[in-house]
Amino acid sequence: MSTAVKKTFIYVGSLVILFALFVLSLRTGIVHVQTPLWDLIGKHTGTDATTVWDVRMPRALGAMIIGAALGIAGALAQGIFRNPLAEPTLIGLSSGAIVGTIAVISSGAAAYGSRTNVESAVLFAALTALLVQWLAPNKGFGFLLTGIAVSSILTSLAGLMISTSPKPDIQSLSFWNFGSLSLINMQTVKVTAPFIELGVIIAFFVSRRLDVYSLGEASSHFMGVNPKRLRLWAILAMALLVGASVSAVGSIAFLGLLVPHVVRLLIGPGHRRMLSLSALIGAIVLLVADLIARTAFQPHEIPLGLITALLGAPALIILLRAKRAQWVSHD
Amino acid sequence: MIEIKNVTFSRGPQVILDEFSAYVKNGEAVLLTGDNGVGKSTLVSLIGGFLKPDSGTIEIIGNDISKLKAHEQAELRSVAPQRRTFDLAFTVQQVLNFVPMKRRSEMTQGIIEDLGLVDLIEKKVTELSIGQQQRVSLALALIQDADFYLLDEPFAAQDKGSINRILMVIEEMKKRKGILVVSHNTDALRSHFDREIVLG
Repeated sequence: MSTAVKKTFIYVGSLVILFALFVLSLRTGIVHVQTPLWDLIGKHTGTDATTVWDVRMPRALGAMIIGAALGIAGALAQGIFRNPLAEPTLIGLSSGAIVGTIAVISSGAAAYGSRTNVESAVLFAALTALLVQWLAPNKGFGFLLTGIAVSSILTSLAGLMISTSPKPDIQSLSFWNFGSLSLINMQTVKVTAPFIELGVIIAFFVSRRLDVYSLGEASSHFMGVNPKRLRLWAILAMALLVGASVSAVGSIAFLGLLVPHVVRLLIGPGHRRMLSLSALIGAIVLLVADLIARTAFQPHEIPLGLITALLGAPALIILLRAKRAQWVSHD
Repeated sequence: MIEIKNVTFSRGPQVILDEFSAYVKNGEAVLLTGDNGVGKSTLVSLIGGFLKPDSGTIEIIGNDISKLKAHEQAELRSVAPQRRTFDLAFTVQQVLNFVPMKRRSEMTQGIIEDLGLVDLIEKKVTELSIGQQQRVSLALALIQDADFYLLDEPFAAQDKGSINRILMVIEEMKKRKGILVVSHNTDALRSHFDREIVLG
């Protein structure tokens, strides 16, 4: 099979799987929907119609959009920090966004799912990324350890704000740390989607330059790509993608770390293709994780982040041990 | 012409270049030599605009390089640094494609052939030897259309045949361009260059 045919096959296959999972998400849940989906199109009354369109549809859409955002953010993080272990959760972006979210909700400045909530999460995510970059002694393990340390401080801060907040609707720290799509509704999707769209546009705008940047900072400058400016664009994109996602569903571990590794194995390291396939695979992974989260232990729902970590961590270990791992380690 | 005028550059308390001046004219190949650690690669980074001098100026065809944007600098000079990190498993062809078509030299195909990269073109750069990676890095600089080429240790890790091929490419390119080559292994090379600048 030629490379071009293989790549087309991977894209088309991913789209088909995504569509199938989307339909399955609409059909599956605690409430058994008896009417075929086809017959519910255009209907808004009756239990089946409201279950599908008002409850499951926003949740499935949210899972796809946020999964895509986190997949792209992971690919961006690994590219811009030139580190295969860089991931929005590990390097503090997610905990920055959680602090940004909880700060506005606990102070009463904004409600969950509001525009201010998303803006605050994006701003805090960006500031955290800049802080980690500024504090880190180097780009390798020093960078990751700084990210983990800053992340711990921010998570503790978030816990402190939650435990001292008089607001009952703030949710628990575990909700924000492990992520859940249970609060998502069409309004949340509408508010977060534009931020994610902007993040996606910026990500594709810098994708070719990320290829050049993989050759090193000086090399990138010599080839006409300003590394400092590129880093700022990438951090802005990641903050928009992760900030908006976290403000809606909390922090979801491993997705941003795992997806780019899978994608690199499937279609190689070129960032433009990687970003688009990371979006598709990210959406697929989150839809699957959400299906498991809400159906495996019915009527109880388990946190989404637990599923992504349970599926993602072993898969990542297998991938990293695989001979075809597409990243050379200099450590 | 590249004009380095009274350039001083320090790293912490250590003065690496002190009021250093030199030039490279169009149509000449200049060898930059000196002991390890005297600042040869630093000078390449300064001319390449990646580092800024503490004082003094570096002009390429009358343009102060430190005042130009990265992409404007790239139109004037092309640099093969001493080391590039080939972290990701791009093929050689994909790496060469990092140079957009509109910025490619008309000699691109000839350079790829002369540097012995034709048989490696579909191979992943991560799977090449250090010497082969060096030649890819060199090709990446040489296929960019610019007025001046700065090549930092292009002969390192190369066998005799490859050194001769690189010298041939330099010989061909200097007919129309200015070339500055950094090397610490000078005896066998001196006769291929028009001038030598000794640092330190």
